[in-house]
Amino acid sequence: MDMIAALRADAAAVLADGRAKMVIGYRALGLRRRPVFITDGKMAELLVYDAACTQNLAAYLRKSELKRFRPMAIVARPAVIRSLVVLAAESQLKAEDVVVMAVGENEYHGIRDLAGATALLKEKYPKLAPPQATLALLEKLSSMTPEERAGFWRAEFAKCTRCYACRAACPGCYCTRCIVEKNVPQWVPAAADAHGNYAWNVIRAFHQAGRCTLCGACEAACPQGIPLMALNVRIAQDVAEEFGVQPGDDPAAKPVIGSWSADDKEDFIR
Amino acid sequence: MKLVDAKKLSDLAAALAAKGYRVAAPIQDGDVVRLKEWSPGAVIRTDAVPVNSAKDFLFPRSEIIGRYSIEGNDFTPVDVRPDSTRTVLLGVPPCDATALAVLDAVFNWDYKDEFYNARRAAVTVVTLACAAADDFCFCTSVGGRPDSTAGADAILRPADGARKFILEPLGEKGRALVAAAASALADGEAKADPPAEVPVRFDAKQVSAWLADNFESDLWTTLSMACLGCGACAYACPTCHCFDIQDEATRQESVRRRNWDSCGFGLFTAHAGGHNPRANQSARWRNRVMHKFSYIPERFKTLGCTGCGRCGRMCPAGMAIADICSEIMRAHEAVKK
Amino acid sequence: MTENLYQPMKMRVAASRDEAPEVRTLRLEFPDEAARAAFFVKYRVGMFGLYGLPGAGESTFCVASPPTRTEYIECTFRRVGRVTSALADREIGQPITFRGPYGNAFPIESWKGRNILFVAGGIALPPLRSVIWNILDRRAEFGDVTIVYGARTVADLVYKDELADWGARQDVRLVTTVDPGGETPDWKGKIGFVPTVLKEVAPSPASAVALVCGPPIMIKFSLPVLKGLGFPPGDTYTTLENRMKCGIGKCGRCNVGSVYVCKDGPVFTVEQLQRLPHADM
Repeated sequence: MDMIAALRADAAAVLADGRAKMVIGYRALGLRRRPVFITDGKMAELLVYDAACTQNLAAYLRKSELKRFRPMAIVARPAVIRSLVVLAAESQLKAEDVVVMAVGENEYHGIRDLAGATALLKEKYPKLAPPQATLALLEKLSSMTPEERAGFWRAEFAKCTRCYACRAACPGCYCTRCIVEKNVPQWVPAAADAHGNYAWNVIRAFHQAGRCTLCGACEAACPQGIPLMALNVRIAQDVAEEFGVQPGDDPAAKPVIGSWSADDKEDFIR
Repeated sequence: MKLVDAKKLSDLAAALAAKGYRVAAPIQDGDVVRLKEWSPGAVIRTDAVPVNSAKDFLFPRSEIIGRYSIEGNDFTPVDVRPDSTRTVLLGVPPCDATALAVLDAVFNWDYKDEFYNARRAAVTVVTLACAAADDFCFCTSVGGRPDSTAGADAILRPADGARKFILEPLGEKGRALVAAAASALADGEAKADPPAEVPVRFDAKQVSAWLADNFESDLWTTLSMACLGCGACAYACPTCHCFDIQDEATRQESVRRRNWDSCGFGLFTAHAGGHNPRANQSARWRNRVMHKFSYIPERFKTLGCTGCGRCGRMCPAGMAIADICSEIMRAHEAVKK
Repeated sequence: MTENLYQPMKMRVAASRDEAPEVRTLRLEFPDEAARAAFFVKYRVGMFGLYGLPGAGESTFCVASPPTRTEYIECTFRRVGRVTSALADREIGQPITFRGPYGNAFPIESWKGRNILFVAGGIALPPLRSVIWNILDRRAEFGDVTIVYGARTVADLVYKDELADWGARQDVRLVTTVDPGGETPDWKGKIGFVPTVLKEVAPSPASAVALVCGPPIMIKFSLPVLKGLGFPPGDTYTTLENRMKCGIGKCGRCNVGSVYVCKDGPVFTVEQLQRLPHADM
């Protein structure tokens, strides 16, 4: 059975036997792909999967309208599985509420629970996978002077309209009130202006440090084409180097930036 | 007829700039086409709807509407003048020009908004009749056409197999523009190319009719499920005009800005007391669709959607108002049976 | 150049009073005679304004004083966030910004000779207080005046001095109440939720109009009581307190369906409200 046929058959099966009340996957819309929310097994035929499926479906788990459909089956590529693991580690979802339909680039790995999906990562997808285009951009950026780099980002952030599509697309952005929505004090200027845009995009990248699974949904979501992944990949590289961990390896791991231990190294304090 | 070579639009832009116009056009900007200020060397694209709309130049994403100097506990208002730089929007799609009817109405229906009006008076709108359309375009479903002249001061019509443009003035501002651009225009005859084929996807009247009776329908939950509540659609939309007013201050000065806002954001209607009338995305999405096809027509006698397709192109979740309307039509048909 | 729509005028805090914990009234004077006169040409009771401070922003409150008192305006608000905190911290003599009056008004001219019933809860008395004083300042033109007002606790009752005034008048029937558990040992008023007390008081709908203003839950339970007493929805009025920003029908924030609360309201009859999309309220 080919990959898509197997995916569709499994979707119908989990709905039929009650392992899941809903399957969240992708459907085709011309050349684009769109999340689809299936409760009726007959609709499983709509499911597709390919490289154009850029949304991170784990972002939907925070929608209040979906809570009554738990447990939910989610079509998840490795970066999305990592997002699910991070959400579990941060107490945003319970393992028993999610069923993983694990997909790779050209392979369907079948239905797993969260523990099984985590094991799959360890076995077949042990490293975070930064996109090639981002690595190329980072090389270009690292050969720039600091002034040139600042100029590059200033030009990119000038395009930002503060639509917050990046935030909406990201499963890690689940705060009921985002930092930009607070006004006592107003931490980040709300206007889509140079000052606030820089702050917003950098702060969001920092808030994802150690949590971002490099799924690329933010950059795919940005209507202005800002290369947001460059920030996320660079920070992920720093986190790996400084702390030796990557997000999504362990559903019991404490968030690397969000937790403290007496053994944390202090050699950067001079 | 006034003609310009299809490959020489930059000369037209340069001629207008030399006469003191700020020229904005759809420009190749990295991987996207963006309506932005032209400068020599910029590549003008004539075959794609830009990611942003003409509204950016009339109702910018952030604008200063008040300024105060602060002295301790006292303050003094400082005069704020609206921007009235003479501008030409060169080559916007007809759906953007049609949308101006909604903006003109909202900013003038009782109180006259001088910030908008000053820009509006200073802008000359030159539309570019569309020779091609993509899957997201649906102007013909909402009473528009790819070569519509509604809202435009002049129109560029592709002609002679896309080798030339005919620049046709449509009023006083258009005539002034043509006169200013004389050095880049040739007199002659050319045959306008047929406009793009834009298949009709739904009947807007039937959509409005269904909306009037189906506020409580369960369909809204299904239709809106993929929406994650960002502002991409509202910001890209040429008719959307909701804004927030925010102060930014130092100890010496405070600036009052109006910034784009979106009814899709969760906090848009949240009251200080904690109550939120539109508490979930389904209610917010319903409000958006009803605004375009029900509330705006009711108050302003014009549809709130011009079929530009940007919401569909920009949405991270692949949602498009045209698809929603098609689904509503299916529901409408099902009920009628 | 035509005036900047969004440019407020500078008002001076002439007096301030603490009404209840976190609730303050400010009395504001106009910057000059021309501004004052221009305001009172337009102002009818029920209209609102935007009060603010540069750096903090603006907030929407009703004008809590009546058009019969033309030397000043007043506003009453609770300190809940950035703007209200900045306003509450203002001292006498200091300036604030003000834009208004905006919105529609209670049609009090059409109520002449009729009986007026006011039903209010907590911090929602201010919008009705301006109407009460408007009517009491022109007492002879109207019929019976009945006020049913309650708050969670005695301390939360606003306009305590004025409540005492109204209670002492022979030409006003005032019934005050606090929620069960909100009374103090020397509390002489009723104990019970406003809708319950309203039912007890059972004012007559004959030749009457009713004005209701309160937290959503109070309104929800009071409207059926009024209906049961025979008050027609077309003669029952309320004022909506939606989130607003521009106040002049442009920013879109206060939309309820196709209605702009800042232009078509904030005063509505219950009949008008029943025609609005309910779930969006």
